[in-house]
Amino acid sequence: MDLENQQRVKDIAEKYPAEDIVVILGGAEAQSAKLMGDTVTTGDPTFAGPLAGVQLGLTAYHAVEPQFKDAVDEDVYDDQIGMMEMVLDVDEIIAAMNEVRG
Amino acid sequence: MSKKKVVHYINQFFAGIGGEEKADHKPEVREGVVGPGIGLNAALGDNAEIIATVICGDTYFNEHLEEAEAAVLEMVEKYNPDLFIAGPAFNAGRYGVAAGAVTKAVSEKLGIPAVTAMYVENPGADMYKSDVYIVKTGNSAATMGQAIPALTSLALKLLKGEEIGTPDEDNYMERGIRVNYFAEERGSKRAVDMLIKKLKGEEFVTEYPMPAFDRVFPNPAVKDITKAKIGLVTSGGIVPKGNPDKIESSSASKYGRYDISGFDVLTSETHETAHGGYDPVYANADPNRVLPVDVLRDLEKEGKIGSLHNIYYATVGNGTAVASAKKYAEAFAKELVADGVDAVITTST
Repeated sequence: MDLENQQRVKDIAEKYPAEDIVVILGGAEAQSAKLMGDTVTTGDPTFAGPLAGVQLGLTAYHAVEPQFKDAVDEDVYDDQIGMMEMVLDVDEIIAAMNEVRG
Repeated sequence: MSKKKVVHYINQFFAGIGGEEKADHKPEVREGVVGPGIGLNAALGDNAEIIATVICGDTYFNEHLEEAEAAVLEMVEKYNPDLFIAGPAFNAGRYGVAAGAVTKAVSEKLGIPAVTAMYVENPGADMYKSDVYIVKTGNSAATMGQAIPALTSLALKLLKGEEIGTPDEDNYMERGIRVNYFAEERGSKRAVDMLIKKLKGEEFVTEYPMPAFDRVFPNPAVKDITKAKIGLVTSGGIVPKGNPDKIESSSASKYGRYDISGFDVLTSETHETAHGGYDPVYANADPNRVLPVDVLRDLEKEGKIGSLHNIYYATVGNGTAVASAKKYAEAFAKELVADGVDAVITTST
């Protein structure tokens, strides 16, 4: 997760309680989803950004996970994410995100 | 036992200062851990503690090598650490070069055990792997999770003065150091075992890995060859008759510098080859076959090249170490440049 986005997440997490925040991720690979997920939960695993060593413990889902998909308007989802859902390795991403959430 | 003191070196990116736009950041030192030092410190546990972090921009370091290195050394020395760690640099080229350079400097000039880590294809790896311990990492910071334990494991061994294992055992890059050891089985058996594994398509580990040579990329094309001064360099051993410098026929320990002004063509009366390992009859009968003075004089007359440089350089490539060849070329390349040579044709046997 780039440094600016880490800072944005950090700022939001300072403003609102963690239980009121859900982070929706959009990485195209399981590995990058895992890295981003880890960044907003246990801290930046690359130790390069503002979230290095900062355990926000936020809840994170990837945009192709059913928890997110089922919670949003089906037509809008198909329109905005449907195409990517077809080309991404959804199972691998879900497995990675389950790992992130422990 | 009190905790040992460690100083850590990172670049501007891992310090959270910024990316490329901040790469001219001058060396600075901060007390305690910054960036990846958080992870390293946790992995060092009760044994050691990062007491300071030196930060330098990658571009700044590479464009001000001597000043930056001196500044970093001064910062490190002030803390009198028991160990120095740089990186990990993964596949970031200038970061790798900087990490390798400071690790070497700290270890050689301050006498402090030092270690760094990067990806095997990082340019810094080839430049410094024979000088310092470079722990192997993946190619991006996404592999930080694996890099940290590998780096701290070797770092702790260095700190405790424990014996360092082979590159495979301790996950660092080969340093070109040979160490004697007692093998359980004799060489012939080990060789046959390897051959059988190879024939079966099974994995085996060679005991004699081939050296990895660097790649030399050609310079941009000469813009106008008709105006260019062309030099000749050969590893084919063409020397004036009698081999005045006594260049060895194998494993040459020197190169020669010879004047060809006034020569339109080389003949068996004037030149010969000093090169061993191949049948010299044809090179001796017509030395232009190896060092094409005749053809270049023709091109010079026809105006197809600007001129032929009046000095050529020769050595014998047969069994000559790459490191020696590189050393010779570094020396005479400077002369060629000083003499205004625009391009060089290198010929072998």
